[in-house]
Amino acid sequence: MTILASYNFDWSVVTDRWRLFVAGAWIDLWVAIIGFSLACAIGLANALLRTSGLPFLSIPSFLYVQLMRGVPLYVLLLWVYFGVANIMGIAFTNFQAIVIALALTGSGYTTEIFRAGLGAIERGQMEAARSIGLSRVRTYGHVILPQALRIVVPPLGNTFVGLLKGATIMAVIAVHDMVFLANELNVTLFTPFEVFTAVAVLLVVMVLFFSAVVYVLERRLRIA
Amino acid sequence: MSQIYLYSYDWSVVPRSFEFLARGLGVTMRLTVLSVLFSLVLGLIVALVRMVPGPLGLIGFLYVQVFRALSLYVYILFIYFGIAAAFQINFDPITAGVISLTLLNSAYMAEIYRSAIEAVDPGQREAARSLGLGSIATFATVTFPQAWRVALPSLVNQFTDIIKDSSIVAVIGTPDLMYQTIERVSFYQRPFEFYTTVAGIYLVMVLIVAQLAWRLEKRLRRHLA
Repeated sequence: MTILASYNFDWSVVTDRWRLFVAGAWIDLWVAIIGFSLACAIGLANALLRTSGLPFLSIPSFLYVQLMRGVPLYVLLLWVYFGVANIMGIAFTNFQAIVIALALTGSGYTTEIFRAGLGAIERGQMEAARSIGLSRVRTYGHVILPQALRIVVPPLGNTFVGLLKGATIMAVIAVHDMVFLANELNVTLFTPFEVFTAVAVLLVVMVLFFSAVVYVLERRLRIA
Repeated sequence: MSQIYLYSYDWSVVPRSFEFLARGLGVTMRLTVLSVLFSLVLGLIVALVRMVPGPLGLIGFLYVQVFRALSLYVYILFIYFGIAAAFQINFDPITAGVISLTLLNSAYMAEIYRSAIEAVDPGQREAARSLGLGSIATFATVTFPQAWRVALPSLVNQFTDIIKDSSIVAVIGTPDLMYQTIERVSFYQRPFEFYTTVAGIYLVMVLIVAQLAWRLEKRLRRHLA
Protein backbone atom coordinates (compact mmCIF):
# COMPACT_ATOMS: atom_id res chain seq x y z
CA MET A 1 0.00 0.00 0.00
CA THR A 2 1.45 3.27 -1.01
CA ILE A 3 0.05 6.31 0.62
CA LEU A 4 -0.56 9.00 -1.94
CA ALA A 5 -0.28 12.62 -1.02
CA SER A 6 -3.61 14.35 -1.43
CA TYR A 7 -4.06 16.24 -4.67
CA ASN A 8 -3.73 20.01 -4.50
CA PHE A 9 -6.03 21.64 -6.97
CA ASP A 10 -4.29 24.52 -8.69
CA TRP A 11 -6.53 26.13 -11.25
CA SER A 12 -4.07 28.94 -11.89
CA VAL A 13 -2.29 26.51 -14.22
CA VAL A 14 -5.27 26.90 -16.52
CA THR A 15 -6.36 30.46 -15.78
CA ASP A 16 -2.84 31.85 -16.28
CA ARG A 17 -2.65 30.18 -19.67
CA TRP A 18 -6.20 30.58 -20.93
CA ARG A 19 -4.96 32.25 -24.10
CA LEU A 20 -2.90 29.16 -24.94
CA PHE A 21 -5.90 26.92 -24.38
CA VAL A 22 -8.11 29.08 -26.59
CA ALA A 23 -5.39 29.13 -29.27
CA GLY A 24 -5.24 25.32 -29.05
CA ALA A 25 -9.00 25.02 -29.32
CA TRP A 26 -8.86 27.30 -32.36
CA ILE A 27 -6.49 24.82 -34.05
CA ASP A 28 -8.95 21.97 -33.43
CA LEU A 29 -11.73 24.07 -34.88
CA TRP A 30 -9.70 25.22 -37.86
CA VAL A 31 -8.57 21.68 -38.75
CA ALA A 32 -12.16 20.46 -38.43
CA ILE A 33 -13.35 23.24 -40.77
CA ILE A 34 -10.77 22.44 -43.46
CA GLY A 35 -11.32 18.69 -43.14
CA PHE A 36 -15.07 19.17 -43.31
CA SER A 37 -14.88 21.40 -46.40
CA LEU A 38 -12.82 18.80 -48.22
CA ALA A 39 -15.15 16.05 -47.01
CA CYS A 40 -18.11 17.96 -48.50
CA ALA A 41 -16.38 18.38 -51.86
CA ILE A 42 -15.39 14.70 -52.04
CA GLY A 43 -18.79 13.62 -50.74
CA LEU A 44 -20.73 15.59 -53.33
CA ALA A 45 -18.59 14.32 -56.21
CA ASN A 46 -18.88 10.79 -54.88
CA ALA A 47 -22.66 11.03 -54.45
CA LEU A 48 -22.99 12.14 -58.09
CA LEU A 49 -20.98 9.09 -59.15
CA ARG A 50 -23.12 6.92 -56.91
CA THR A 51 -26.38 8.19 -58.39
CA SER A 52 -25.06 8.17 -61.96
CA GLY A 53 -26.70 4.82 -62.69
CA LEU A 54 -23.46 3.59 -64.27
CA PRO A 55 -22.18 0.52 -62.40
CA PHE A 56 -18.49 1.18 -63.14
CA LEU A 57 -18.88 4.52 -61.34
CA SER A 58 -21.41 3.69 -58.66
CA ILE A 59 -19.85 0.45 -57.38
CA PRO A 60 -16.41 1.96 -56.57
CA SER A 61 -18.22 4.85 -54.93
CA PHE A 62 -20.24 2.43 -52.78
CA LEU A 63 -17.11 0.52 -51.77
CA TYR A 64 -15.37 3.78 -50.91
CA VAL A 65 -18.16 4.70 -48.50
CA GLN A 66 -18.07 1.30 -46.78
CA LEU A 67 -14.30 1.52 -46.45
CA MET A 68 -14.17 5.05 -45.05
CA ARG A 69 -16.96 4.44 -42.58
CA GLY A 70 -15.51 1.14 -41.41
CA VAL A 71 -11.98 2.22 -40.55
CA PRO A 72 -11.35 4.06 -37.25
CA LEU A 73 -10.08 7.63 -37.57
CA TYR A 74 -7.07 6.83 -35.41
CA VAL A 75 -6.03 3.98 -37.73
CA LEU A 76 -6.62 6.15 -40.78
CA LEU A 77 -4.52 8.95 -39.29
CA LEU A 78 -1.52 6.74 -38.58
CA TRP A 79 -1.96 5.05 -41.96
CA VAL A 80 -1.78 8.41 -43.75
CA TYR A 81 0.93 9.93 -41.57
CA PHE A 82 3.29 6.96 -41.29
CA GLY A 83 2.12 4.33 -43.79
CA VAL A 84 1.44 6.29 -46.95
CA ALA A 85 4.33 8.64 -46.28
CA ASN A 86 6.60 5.61 -46.10
CA ILE A 87 5.62 3.95 -49.38
CA MET A 88 5.25 7.12 -51.42
CA GLY A 89 8.33 8.84 -50.09
CA ILE A 90 6.35 11.99 -49.34
CA ALA A 91 6.36 13.32 -45.83
CA PHE A 92 3.04 14.91 -44.98
CA THR A 93 3.26 17.45 -42.22
CA ASN A 94 1.27 16.37 -39.18
CA PHE A 95 -1.21 19.16 -39.94
CA GLN A 96 -1.77 17.83 -43.47
CA ALA A 97 -2.12 14.28 -42.16
CA ILE A 98 -4.96 15.09 -39.76
CA VAL A 99 -6.75 17.18 -42.40
CA ILE A 100 -6.51 14.32 -44.92
CA ALA A 101 -7.65 11.74 -42.37
CA LEU A 102 -10.65 13.86 -41.36
CA ALA A 103 -11.52 14.55 -44.99
CA LEU A 104 -11.44 10.81 -45.80
CA THR A 105 -13.53 9.71 -42.79
CA GLY A 106 -15.90 12.61 -43.22
CA SER A 107 -16.40 11.96 -46.94
CA GLY A 108 -17.78 8.50 -46.12
CA TYR A 109 -20.58 10.17 -44.20
CA THR A 110 -21.09 13.18 -46.48
CA THR A 111 -21.44 10.93 -49.55
CA GLU A 112 -24.39 9.17 -47.94
CA ILE A 113 -25.93 12.49 -46.91
CA PHE A 114 -25.66 13.98 -50.40
CA ARG A 115 -26.95 10.76 -51.93
CA ALA A 116 -30.02 10.83 -49.71
CA GLY A 117 -30.50 14.54 -50.42
CA LEU A 118 -30.30 14.08 -54.19
CA GLY A 119 -32.53 11.02 -53.99
CA ALA A 120 -35.19 12.97 -52.13
CA ILE A 121 -35.74 15.34 -55.04
CA GLU A 122 -38.75 14.26 -57.02
CA ARG A 123 -38.04 12.82 -60.49
CA GLY A 124 -40.51 15.25 -62.00
CA GLN A 125 -38.18 18.14 -61.17
CA MET A 126 -35.47 16.70 -63.36
CA GLU A 127 -37.89 15.82 -66.13
CA ALA A 128 -39.52 19.25 -66.09
CA ALA A 129 -36.17 21.07 -66.18
CA ARG A 130 -34.93 18.87 -69.00
CA SER A 131 -38.09 19.26 -71.02
CA ILE A 132 -37.93 23.06 -70.91
CA GLY A 133 -34.51 22.75 -72.48
CA LEU A 134 -32.03 22.96 -69.59
CA SER A 135 -28.88 20.88 -70.05
CA ARG A 136 -28.08 18.16 -67.52
CA VAL A 137 -25.41 20.31 -65.88
CA ARG A 138 -27.73 23.34 -65.64
CA THR A 139 -30.52 21.16 -64.29
CA TYR A 140 -28.24 20.04 -61.49
CA GLY A 141 -26.91 23.54 -60.85
CA HIS A 142 -30.19 25.44 -60.91
CA VAL A 143 -32.86 22.92 -59.98
CA ILE A 144 -31.64 19.80 -58.17
CA LEU A 145 -28.77 21.02 -55.98
CA PRO A 146 -30.51 24.11 -54.54
CA GLN A 147 -33.37 21.89 -53.36
CA ALA A 148 -31.10 19.12 -52.12
CA LEU A 149 -29.12 21.67 -50.11
CA ARG A 150 -32.05 22.34 -47.80
CA ILE A 151 -32.23 18.67 -46.98
CA VAL A 152 -28.52 18.05 -46.49
CA VAL A 153 -27.58 21.01 -44.30
CA PRO A 154 -28.72 19.62 -40.91
CA PRO A 155 -27.07 16.18 -41.25
CA LEU A 156 -23.93 17.83 -42.67
CA GLY A 157 -23.86 19.99 -39.56
CA ASN A 158 -23.95 16.87 -37.42
CA THR A 159 -21.07 15.44 -39.45
CA PHE A 160 -19.11 18.62 -38.80
CA VAL A 161 -19.68 18.24 -35.06
CA GLY A 162 -18.47 14.63 -35.29
CA LEU A 163 -15.33 15.73 -37.15
CA LEU A 164 -14.68 18.45 -34.57
CA LYS A 165 -14.73 15.80 -31.85
CA GLY A 166 -12.55 13.53 -33.96
CA ALA A 167 -10.06 16.34 -34.61
CA THR A 168 -8.87 16.20 -30.99
CA ILE A 169 -6.98 12.99 -31.83
CA MET A 170 -4.43 15.15 -33.72
CA ALA A 171 -2.42 15.48 -30.50
CA VAL A 172 -1.12 11.90 -30.98
CA ILE A 173 0.88 13.07 -34.00
CA ALA A 174 1.98 16.19 -32.13
CA VAL A 175 -0.11 18.89 -33.77
CA HIS A 176 -0.11 21.65 -31.15
CA ASP A 177 -3.82 21.72 -30.37
CA MET A 178 -5.46 22.10 -26.96
CA VAL A 179 -5.07 18.42 -26.05
CA PHE A 180 -1.38 18.53 -26.91
CA LEU A 181 -1.00 21.58 -24.68
CA ALA A 182 -2.81 19.78 -21.85
CA ASN A 183 -0.57 16.72 -22.25
CA GLU A 184 2.53 18.92 -22.10
CA LEU A 185 1.33 20.74 -19.00
CA ASN A 186 0.39 17.47 -17.36
CA VAL A 187 3.88 16.10 -17.90
CA THR A 188 5.73 19.21 -16.77
CA LEU A 189 3.52 20.47 -13.93
CA PHE A 190 1.55 17.33 -13.00
CA THR A 191 -1.88 18.95 -12.96
CA PRO A 192 -3.88 16.41 -14.96
CA PHE A 193 -7.28 17.18 -13.47
CA GLU A 194 -7.16 20.92 -14.14
CA VAL A 195 -5.77 20.76 -17.66
CA PHE A 196 -7.98 17.94 -18.91
CA THR A 197 -11.04 19.55 -17.33
CA ALA A 198 -10.17 22.72 -19.24
CA VAL A 199 -9.93 20.73 -22.49
CA ALA A 200 -13.21 18.92 -21.80
CA VAL A 201 -15.01 22.19 -21.06
CA LEU A 202 -13.68 23.85 -24.22
CA LEU A 203 -14.74 20.87 -26.33
CA VAL A 204 -18.20 20.70 -24.77
CA VAL A 205 -18.71 24.44 -25.34
CA MET A 206 -17.66 24.21 -29.00
CA VAL A 207 -19.73 21.10 -29.69
CA LEU A 208 -22.85 22.44 -27.96
CA PHE A 209 -22.51 25.74 -29.80
CA PHE A 210 -22.40 24.07 -33.20
CA SER A 211 -25.13 21.59 -32.22
CA ALA A 212 -27.33 24.58 -31.35
CA VAL A 213 -26.55 26.17 -34.72
CA VAL A 214 -27.52 22.91 -36.46
CA TYR A 215 -30.74 22.77 -34.45
CA VAL A 216 -31.69 26.33 -35.46
CA LEU A 217 -30.83 25.69 -39.12
CA GLU A 218 -32.86 22.50 -39.06
CA ARG A 219 -35.96 24.39 -37.92
CA ARG A 220 -35.40 27.22 -40.40
CA LEU A 221 -34.87 24.97 -43.41
CA ARG A 222 -37.73 22.62 -42.73
CA ILE A 223 -40.08 22.71 -45.70
CA ALA A 224 -43.50 23.53 -44.31
CA MET B 1 11.71 16.28 -58.52
CA SER B 2 11.95 13.42 -60.99
CA GLN B 3 13.56 11.22 -58.41
CA ILE B 4 11.82 7.86 -58.32
CA TYR B 5 11.10 6.49 -54.93
CA LEU B 6 11.06 2.73 -54.70
CA TYR B 7 9.46 0.98 -51.81
CA SER B 8 9.71 -2.75 -51.45
CA TYR B 9 6.75 -4.16 -49.63
CA ASP B 10 7.26 -6.85 -47.08
CA TRP B 11 3.92 -8.30 -46.05
CA SER B 12 5.55 -11.29 -44.36
CA VAL B 13 5.88 -9.22 -41.19
CA VAL B 14 2.12 -9.44 -40.74
CA PRO B 15 1.77 -13.25 -40.44
CA ARG B 16 4.90 -13.23 -38.30
CA SER B 17 3.06 -10.95 -35.86
CA PHE B 18 -0.08 -13.06 -35.87
CA GLU B 19 0.19 -13.98 -32.21
CA PHE B 20 0.43 -10.33 -31.08
CA LEU B 21 -2.40 -9.17 -33.29
CA ALA B 22 -4.64 -12.05 -32.18
CA ARG B 23 -4.00 -11.22 -28.55
CA GLY B 24 -4.77 -7.55 -29.24
CA LEU B 25 -7.94 -8.50 -31.08
CA GLY B 26 -9.06 -10.45 -28.03
CA VAL B 27 -8.61 -7.39 -25.82
CA THR B 28 -10.45 -5.19 -28.34
CA MET B 29 -13.38 -7.60 -28.41
CA ARG B 30 -13.56 -7.87 -24.63
CA LEU B 31 -13.41 -4.09 -24.32
CA THR B 32 -16.11 -3.57 -26.93
CA VAL B 33 -18.50 -6.21 -25.65
CA LEU B 34 -18.23 -4.98 -22.04
CA SER B 35 -18.78 -1.38 -23.15
CA VAL B 36 -21.76 -2.37 -25.29
CA LEU B 37 -23.41 -4.24 -22.40
CA PHE B 38 -22.80 -1.45 -19.88
CA SER B 39 -23.96 1.29 -22.23
CA LEU B 40 -27.10 -0.68 -23.16
CA VAL B 41 -28.08 -0.75 -19.47
CA LEU B 42 -26.90 2.74 -18.53
CA GLY B 43 -28.42 4.19 -21.70
CA LEU B 44 -31.84 2.80 -20.79
CA ILE B 45 -31.61 4.20 -17.26
CA VAL B 46 -30.60 7.62 -18.62
CA ALA B 47 -33.45 7.53 -21.15
CA LEU B 48 -35.97 6.79 -18.39
CA VAL B 49 -34.55 9.51 -16.15
CA ARG B 50 -34.64 11.93 -19.07
CA MET B 51 -38.33 11.27 -19.61
CA VAL B 52 -39.29 12.08 -16.01
CA PRO B 53 -40.74 15.61 -15.89
CA GLY B 54 -39.03 18.12 -13.60
CA PRO B 55 -35.46 18.49 -12.34
CA LEU B 56 -34.65 14.78 -12.69
CA GLY B 57 -35.48 14.96 -16.38
CA LEU B 58 -33.25 18.00 -16.70
CA ILE B 59 -30.35 16.02 -15.23
CA GLY B 60 -30.97 13.31 -17.82
CA PHE B 61 -31.06 15.94 -20.56
CA LEU B 62 -27.77 17.48 -19.39
CA TYR B 63 -26.17 14.04 -19.14
CA VAL B 64 -27.03 13.35 -22.76
CA GLN B 65 -25.92 16.77 -24.04
CA VAL B 66 -22.62 16.92 -22.16
CA PHE B 67 -21.58 13.28 -22.39
CA ARG B 68 -22.25 13.17 -26.11
CA ALA B 69 -20.17 16.28 -26.70
CA LEU B 70 -16.81 14.83 -25.66
CA SER B 71 -14.50 12.80 -27.83
CA LEU B 72 -13.27 9.45 -26.61
CA TYR B 73 -9.68 10.68 -26.60
CA VAL B 74 -10.56 13.51 -24.21
CA TYR B 75 -12.58 11.09 -22.04
CA ILE B 76 -9.69 8.72 -21.73
CA LEU B 77 -7.16 11.39 -20.80
CA PHE B 78 -9.59 12.96 -18.35
CA ILE B 79 -10.46 9.69 -16.63
CA TYR B 80 -7.13 7.90 -16.78
CA PHE B 81 -5.01 10.91 -15.75
CA GLY B 82 -7.34 13.60 -14.40
CA ILE B 83 -9.82 11.69 -12.24
CA ALA B 84 -7.19 9.17 -11.23
CA ALA B 85 -4.87 11.87 -9.84
CA ALA B 86 -7.48 14.13 -8.28
CA PHE B 87 -9.44 11.39 -6.52
CA GLN B 88 -6.59 8.93 -5.95
CA ILE B 89 -8.25 6.14 -7.89
CA ASN B 90 -5.94 4.02 -9.95
CA PHE B 91 -7.78 2.67 -12.95
CA ASP B 92 -6.11 0.03 -15.02
CA PRO B 93 -6.13 0.97 -18.71
CA ILE B 94 -8.91 -1.47 -19.64
CA THR B 95 -11.22 -0.18 -16.91
CA ALA B 96 -10.55 3.42 -17.95
CA GLY B 97 -11.34 2.43 -21.54
CA VAL B 98 -14.60 0.68 -20.64
CA ILE B 99 -15.72 3.61 -18.45
CA SER B 100 -14.95 6.11 -21.22
CA LEU B 101 -16.70 4.10 -23.93
CA THR B 102 -19.69 3.51 -21.65
CA LEU B 103 -20.14 7.17 -20.68
CA LEU B 104 -19.95 8.34 -24.30
CA ASN B 105 -22.16 5.66 -25.81
CA SER B 106 -24.74 5.51 -23.03
CA ALA B 107 -25.57 9.12 -23.94
CA TYR B 108 -26.08 8.14 -27.59
CA MET B 109 -28.05 5.05 -26.68
CA ALA B 110 -30.27 7.03 -24.28
CA GLU B 111 -31.45 9.09 -27.25
CA ILE B 112 -32.09 5.96 -29.31
CA TYR B 113 -34.15 4.42 -26.49
CA ARG B 114 -36.04 7.65 -25.89
CA SER B 115 -37.13 8.09 -29.48
CA ALA B 116 -38.13 4.40 -29.63
CA ILE B 117 -40.16 4.63 -26.42
CA GLU B 118 -41.84 7.80 -27.65
CA ALA B 119 -42.67 6.03 -30.90
CA VAL B 120 -44.86 3.49 -29.10
CA ASP B 121 -48.53 4.45 -29.49
CA PRO B 122 -49.73 6.02 -26.19
CA GLY B 123 -52.93 3.98 -26.56
CA GLN B 124 -50.92 0.87 -25.74
CA ARG B 125 -49.92 2.25 -22.38
CA GLU B 126 -53.39 3.59 -21.65
CA ALA B 127 -54.97 0.24 -22.49
CA ALA B 128 -52.53 -1.63 -20.24
CA ARG B 129 -53.12 0.81 -17.38
CA SER B 130 -56.89 0.55 -17.74
CA LEU B 131 -56.59 -3.24 -17.54
CA GLY B 132 -55.14 -2.67 -14.08
CA LEU B 133 -51.42 -3.14 -14.76
CA GLY B 134 -49.13 -1.02 -12.60
CA SER B 135 -46.87 1.53 -14.29
CA ILE B 136 -43.81 -0.70 -13.90
CA ALA B 137 -45.61 -3.76 -15.24
CA THR B 138 -46.95 -1.69 -18.13
CA PHE B 139 -43.49 -0.49 -19.05
CA ALA B 140 -41.86 -3.90 -18.68
CA THR B 141 -44.47 -5.99 -20.46
CA VAL B 142 -46.11 -3.60 -22.92
CA THR B 143 -44.12 -0.46 -23.76
CA PHE B 144 -40.55 -1.70 -23.57
CA PRO B 145 -40.92 -4.89 -25.66
CA GLN B 146 -42.35 -2.78 -28.48
CA ALA B 147 -39.79 0.02 -28.12
CA TRP B 148 -36.98 -2.54 -28.07
CA ARG B 149 -37.89 -3.77 -31.55
CA VAL B 150 -37.67 -0.23 -32.88
CA ALA B 151 -34.44 0.59 -31.06
CA LEU B 152 -32.47 -2.60 -31.68
CA PRO B 153 -31.08 -1.92 -35.18
CA SER B 154 -29.88 1.56 -34.16
CA LEU B 155 -28.39 0.16 -30.97
CA VAL B 156 -26.49 -2.44 -32.96
CA ASN B 157 -25.26 0.31 -35.28
CA GLN B 158 -23.91 2.09 -32.23
CA PHE B 159 -21.91 -1.07 -31.64
CA THR B 160 -19.90 -0.29 -34.81
CA ASP B 161 -18.95 3.11 -33.41
CA ILE B 162 -17.78 1.46 -30.19
CA ILE B 163 -15.56 -0.93 -32.16
CA LYS B 164 -13.98 1.96 -34.05
CA ASP B 165 -13.61 4.26 -31.06
CA SER B 166 -12.09 1.49 -28.96
CA SER B 167 -8.87 1.83 -31.00
CA ILE B 168 -8.14 5.07 -29.13
CA VAL B 169 -7.61 3.25 -25.80
CA ALA B 170 -4.19 2.32 -27.19
CA VAL B 171 -2.94 5.79 -26.23
CA ILE B 172 -2.92 4.84 -22.54
CA GLY B 173 -1.25 1.51 -23.19
CA THR B 174 -4.24 -0.82 -23.18
CA PRO B 175 -2.87 -3.85 -25.07
CA ASP B 176 -5.67 -3.85 -27.66
CA LEU B 177 -5.41 -4.48 -31.40
CA MET B 178 -4.25 -0.93 -32.14
CA TYR B 179 -1.64 -0.93 -29.39
CA GLN B 180 -0.19 -4.24 -30.54
CA THR B 181 -0.08 -2.89 -34.09
CA ILE B 182 1.79 0.26 -33.05
CA GLU B 183 4.26 -1.94 -31.13
CA ARG B 184 4.84 -4.15 -34.17
CA VAL B 185 5.26 -1.08 -36.36
CA SER B 186 8.07 0.19 -34.19
CA PHE B 187 9.61 -3.27 -34.08
CA TYR B 188 9.61 -3.95 -37.84
CA GLN B 189 9.45 -0.35 -39.16
CA ARG B 190 6.69 -1.38 -41.54
CA PRO B 191 3.90 1.15 -40.95
CA PHE B 192 2.15 0.73 -44.29
CA GLU B 193 1.81 -3.04 -44.12
CA PHE B 194 0.62 -3.06 -40.53
CA TYR B 195 -1.76 -0.12 -40.63
CA THR B 196 -3.32 -1.42 -43.84
CA THR B 197 -3.83 -4.82 -42.23
CA VAL B 198 -5.31 -3.41 -39.05
CA ALA B 199 -7.61 -1.12 -41.06
CA GLY B 200 -8.82 -4.27 -42.80
CA ILE B 201 -9.44 -6.06 -39.50
CA TYR B 202 -11.49 -3.17 -38.08
CA LEU B 203 -13.35 -2.88 -41.37
CA VAL B 204 -14.33 -6.57 -41.29
CA MET B 205 -15.55 -6.31 -37.69
CA VAL B 206 -17.60 -3.20 -38.49
CA LEU B 207 -19.09 -4.76 -41.63
CA ILE B 208 -20.09 -7.92 -39.76
CA VAL B 209 -21.89 -5.93 -37.08
CA ALA B 210 -23.48 -3.58 -39.64
CA GLN B 211 -24.73 -6.61 -41.57
CA LEU B 212 -26.20 -7.95 -38.34
CA ALA B 213 -28.02 -4.66 -37.76
CA TRP B 214 -29.39 -4.74 -41.28
CA ARG B 215 -30.66 -8.32 -40.91
CA LEU B 216 -32.23 -7.55 -37.55
CA GLU B 217 -33.99 -4.56 -39.03
CA LYS B 218 -35.44 -6.66 -41.84
CA ARG B 219 -36.48 -9.41 -39.44
CA LEU B 220 -38.09 -7.07 -36.94
CA ARG B 221 -40.06 -5.32 -39.66
CA ARG B 222 -41.34 -8.53 -41.18
CA HIS B 223 -44.72 -8.20 -39.49
CA LEU B 224 -45.14 -4.70 -40.90
CA ALA B 225 -44.70 -5.74 -44.51
